[in-house]
Amino acid sequence: MSELTFTPVIGIEIHIRLKTDTKIFCSCSTNPESPANTNICPVCMGLPGSLPRLNHNVVEKGMLAGLALNCSVQPKSLFFRKSYFYPDLPKGHQISQCDLPVVADGYIEVHDADGNLKKIRVNHLHLEEDAASMHHSASDGRLEGAATSYVDYNRAGMPLGEIVSEPDISSAQEAVEYAMNLQRRVRYAGASDADLDKGMMRFDANVSLKCSDGRWGRKVEVKNMNSFRALERAIEFEIKRQKKILLSGGEVLQETRHWNDAKGVTSASRVKEFYRKFIVEPDLPPLIVNQEWIDRVTAMMPEMPDVRANRYVNDMGLPRDVAEVITDDKNLADYFESCVKAGANPVRAAHWVRTEVLRVLNERGQKIDAFTVKPEVLAGLVSRVDDRKLSTTQGKEVFDYMCANGAGLEDAVKALGITEGGVAGNALNDIIAAVIAANPDVLEEIKSGKDKKGKKLKFLQGLVMKETKGQAKPQEVAEAIAKALE
Amino acid sequence: MELYELNLNDVIEGLKAKRFSPSELYASCKQRIDTCEPNIHAFITRTDDTQPQTGNDGGIFAGVPTVLKDNLCTKGIRTTAASRILGDWKPPYDATAWKYLREAGAVLMGKVNMDEFAMGSTCGNSAFGPTHNPHDISRVPGGSSGGSAAAVSAGYVPFSLGSDTGGSIRQPASFCGVYGFKPTYGMVSRYGLISYGSSLDQIGPFARTVRDLQLVMSVLAQYDPMDSSCFREKNPDFTHREDVSLKGKRVALVKEFQDFTLDAPIAEAMTRTRKVLEDEGAIIAEVSLPVVARYAVACYYALAMSEAHTNLERYDGVRYGYTVTDAAGVKEMFERVRSYGFGSEVKSRIIAGTCLTEPSRCDEYYVAATKVRTLIAQEFARAFGETDYILQPVTPSLPHRIGEEDEDEMKVYETDLYTLPVNLAGLPGLSFFTGYAGNLPVGLQLIGPRWSDSGLLDAGVILERHLGSPKIANGGI
Amino acid sequence: MKLDEHEVNEIALESRLVLTEQELAGAVRYINNFLDMLDRFKELDLKDVEPFSFAEALECPLRPDTVISFPATQAILDESEHVDGPYFKVPRIVEAE
Repeated sequence: MSELTFTPVIGIEIHIRLKTDTKIFCSCSTNPESPANTNICPVCMGLPGSLPRLNHNVVEKGMLAGLALNCSVQPKSLFFRKSYFYPDLPKGHQISQCDLPVVADGYIEVHDADGNLKKIRVNHLHLEEDAASMHHSASDGRLEGAATSYVDYNRAGMPLGEIVSEPDISSAQEAVEYAMNLQRRVRYAGASDADLDKGMMRFDANVSLKCSDGRWGRKVEVKNMNSFRALERAIEFEIKRQKKILLSGGEVLQETRHWNDAKGVTSASRVKEFYRKFIVEPDLPPLIVNQEWIDRVTAMMPEMPDVRANRYVNDMGLPRDVAEVITDDKNLADYFESCVKAGANPVRAAHWVRTEVLRVLNERGQKIDAFTVKPEVLAGLVSRVDDRKLSTTQGKEVFDYMCANGAGLEDAVKALGITEGGVAGNALNDIIAAVIAANPDVLEEIKSGKDKKGKKLKFLQGLVMKETKGQAKPQEVAEAIAKALE
Repeated sequence: MELYELNLNDVIEGLKAKRFSPSELYASCKQRIDTCEPNIHAFITRTDDTQPQTGNDGGIFAGVPTVLKDNLCTKGIRTTAASRILGDWKPPYDATAWKYLREAGAVLMGKVNMDEFAMGSTCGNSAFGPTHNPHDISRVPGGSSGGSAAAVSAGYVPFSLGSDTGGSIRQPASFCGVYGFKPTYGMVSRYGLISYGSSLDQIGPFARTVRDLQLVMSVLAQYDPMDSSCFREKNPDFTHREDVSLKGKRVALVKEFQDFTLDAPIAEAMTRTRKVLEDEGAIIAEVSLPVVARYAVACYYALAMSEAHTNLERYDGVRYGYTVTDAAGVKEMFERVRSYGFGSEVKSRIIAGTCLTEPSRCDEYYVAATKVRTLIAQEFARAFGETDYILQPVTPSLPHRIGEEDEDEMKVYETDLYTLPVNLAGLPGLSFFTGYAGNLPVGLQLIGPRWSDSGLLDAGVILERHLGSPKIANGGI
Repeated sequence: MKLDEHEVNEIALESRLVLTEQELAGAVRYINNFLDMLDRFKELDLKDVEPFSFAEALECPLRPDTVISFPATQAILDESEHVDGPYFKVPRIVEAE
């Protein structure tokens, strides 16, 4: 009997917080820093008599996210009521677009196990409201077995886009790449900050296994993954778990399971899921998006990261890996392009951005928009190093000085004692070392005392002056060489 | 004549001419309430214990007392929807309709009784006990806005507000002998109206003359961005005119309704009203509404309950209203709050609504009902291509005695056949007074196409001129 | 009879209603009578009929994305018996649902 093989069939649902100032159905702030239960009003608290009012910007951000996932905007969509009883849901139902979403039919690409590009179809993105946040804790602060839960309704009514993929994903790795690519794209579009640490991006996965003997396990929904790592581990765990069941001849139950990140396992959910059909939300007429609006939002769409990376490779000659690192963050890529626009050589500028700029940002835990060295300034620095007005070492010194002190290029050069337009100090020593290293025979002659008239020494001085393009003072060069020879 | 007996228009003119002061008027109404309220029990919450501050001295209702159905939110004033589940809830905001009245200077005398969450047609289905008909206190005032109708009928206030989901303004207006108007869906903001069936609910006024209805509508019918189903483009003109005419207007009777039996005084009122219309030069016609006649009741209750059960999901005791503090878990807490908090009719409708929208039955019932509603709306649209207005009863019978309701709820629901199609199609409907049968008033209904509200009230002015205005009920005195 | 006592009780519990025996009996009678009434729909051919959603072609109005803080948030909190500090406090979900 041949050995059984299993093909995972995975679909992912991703919730992203849409980037707006106010909630989806009321004018309360979405500020995540606000004190608990201060961003509340009759609408998001579900007070009797209150009615929802749809936020224009939520629709627009939903459209942007959808376009970033190659979806098309639907001219007419509807809202429904999705019922369940829980203290985090003020109305006892969630207002959600469910079946009739604002955007649908898209895709994004990932690499399969062989490294080939593969399309993962996006079924749709629908708009809905978030629930309140709940904190569970016991009097001694323990989470497990706590007797009470604390509810903060600031999050109730925050705008979400739920992005539902087709079950085209075949591995945990593909799932993570899909999620990362999606995150990058919705960030590019300005639709969401998709910050995992702040709960602005959450994952659910539907996992089933197709067995080579024709059996197909039932779909298991795994919930509660809040990081890429959790997504990967949860899917891997679930694949293993289901494989074991199928190998032993058992049957995989259709159920909802929760990922426990601390224990690294999924467990069956105790909460019975409601599969009630949704009724039309009678308080919100159909959402109509006309062509003019679609055109306007389409025009707002920036170049997507993969297109941009290709352009950097093909038009600017950047290495693929550098192009991908730079385009990972739209603001970083924008920074890089500003550098190039200000006159820097693209390959050199890319190298500086990738090594120096990212190093400083990482050290400081900063984002590029908070970076103090403006792209035009970096462009000036890159050009000077390129033109050898500064050595690479000097360039880095100047860069670090600018980062540390917020100084401009000229001020940094001056402060470091680098003569304007001259080559001195370490830069000069670097050149001298290089010249000496390149002429071991001359060095030998001088050291053996044969250069009585100092001709060879003059020869070295000449080479160094040439290397500095005449930007060094002869006196300094002579002294530096003498020192180097000691 | 006592001040409380004055109609709204006379009150406004009298105050303007300083023939009497707002506090004299207030005292007279308060006196009337104190006298009759033990017999009628219209109030859930009285707010007339202290001298009022008039909202806006320059407004058209400056100093005019009024009452509101207790499903309209009033800032800082208990609002119960006649349910135990809301406890002593004090809303932190005003319903838009009340805000408009308050800004026009109206003075709130209190919140009045209703069937719990507007589910019922007797005003007896209230956690606060039944309201009595001011014309005969052994009888029901109708519902669900029974308190609002009784208060105007008994002379507590010159006008009041109610809400109409399937006849809840028109039926009690008819039972209590006052005028009641259900505007076109989308004419009056529902913001702050505690929802029953959201796509059917509409706020409207009660008054003792049609002219007074026009005055109230001129204040209520303003666009409100807080209600997404409120229409922006409509600017109806509710100015009262005496020189209106029905000459050449077509008024139809519904063919299918002719087979149904009516109490004799109602049938007689139909004949009398038809004669009035003919004398005024109107052309009496007939329209056929077969889908309405056979399916409207089932369609209405299916949709109202489907919407209602989701509207009532919010009552869980966490954020407001009745609650328990010693539950071991959330499920127990919700079950105890809801099982004690809701009355039996409400529970029945919640269960029915839940049942109809279960995935296994949704297409058969809920979705089918939404399609039947389309047919009903289309049928009315066709009918109003052939006629300007439709004349029909409000109910097949006069108000019954309290405690003598039919045991079979479905039979009770069938009696709503004349009122609820109007809500299904979002139409305006006027319940008007035609006279008395003994001591009981008899009302009828005139309905028109969407946005015909002002024309409908103009027609009401003519009918009132011929049929006479109602008098204030004796209030059991 | 379309629904028996057990089924009606399940639906009630789904709506977080615990019925007394008497209430349950009433609800069973009520629901079955009601569903019988709705059987009339079967006489109609509804295959090509669009579900009604609004009385006429009405578009959802859209609100500008401008923060307006509700002035009386404390009044909202004051209405609950479950407020503890800045939070609403509820029993932890411990029972199987």
